[in-house]
Amino acid sequence: MTTDTKPVFESLEGMSEPCRLGLRNIIMACADTKLLLGYHYGEWTFGTPELEAAVASCSLSQSELGHVRLLQAVLKKHYGDDPERLIDNRPAAEFANVAFLDEQIERWPGFVAMNAIVDLAVARVLHAFRGSSFKPLRMSVEKMLDEERYHIHHGRGWFRALARQGEVTRGSLERQACAALTSVAEWFGPADDEQDAALVGASVKSMANAEIFRALLEDVSEMASGTGVNVAAAQRASLDGWNPATRRVGVGGPNEEILFHLRGSKNEVFKLG
Amino acid sequence: MTFGQVYEVFARKTHDEPLRHVGSVNATDDDLAKAYAWTLYDEESWVEMCVVPRSAVIPITQHGSVPVWGN
Repeated sequence: MTTDTKPVFESLEGMSEPCRLGLRNIIMACADTKLLLGYHYGEWTFGTPELEAAVASCSLSQSELGHVRLLQAVLKKHYGDDPERLIDNRPAAEFANVAFLDEQIERWPGFVAMNAIVDLAVARVLHAFRGSSFKPLRMSVEKMLDEERYHIHHGRGWFRALARQGEVTRGSLERQACAALTSVAEWFGPADDEQDAALVGASVKSMANAEIFRALLEDVSEMASGTGVNVAAAQRASLDGWNPATRRVGVGGPNEEILFHLRGSKNEVFKLG
Repeated sequence: MTFGQVYEVFARKTHDEPLRHVGSVNATDDDLAKAYAWTLYDEESWVEMCVVPRSAVIPITQHGSVPVWGN
């Protein structure tokens, strides 16, 4: 007879230091990426090529911002991170979002790459938290994944629809998809990350980031197969000096215009005290 | 921009009620049809929603006409 020795963490108590740090960093990375996804989806509500996509984009934005609130609530309760400070008073260089989202998404192929690849990358990380030994997160993950299903359908549908539009559009999609994948590879970080290993070792996460990235590559290759879009050109840059807190090699972060809107700076005077 | 087909959308709020027709969407494939249906017709907390390509529906009555015995 075997007994299940998998630990259960109701809080951070009993977790190793690398595990605690790693958990904060990965939750922050998911929350920041979702915050930026929410912003870009919202911005595109009035720029999509068809009305149905506008409604979908608006809906995707709402669900991403809802997920941000869920993840930030975990950060607040267990790490004391104030959600208001995380958005209003944090310098851009401290954000841990996928770098592909740092700037405005100017064209629809960029939106589709964001939806089909960056959004899916975060969903894959959340999927690795299913059945997590860290109970507070486990309870939110199912709801988020349930909603993510429609994000993935939307991304996949548009990826294939654009790939059929002709050589120029397909080329644009390919460049954006490769840029998104390169950016996501950096965000996942090196395969030997100590914090990530600690999370998997403590059953907080079921898969290491390197495995999740491989699974993502399979998803994307399957989506792109037969479309003429070649995603193999995506580069894996050197990860020397990679920072687990910002999930980048160098310094970066969302541009000031995006932060201005995210922080509601234009309407600061109307903020409720 | 995209040229797809019409999908009819069916949904129900509880397991003990029948699926009912709630509308339709235009989409290029099943994935997009699912995303559009879910985001367009989200006024209820559906326990089930499905889409059917209109082309897969086989009409029994003559299309668009009311049978002589009424509806």
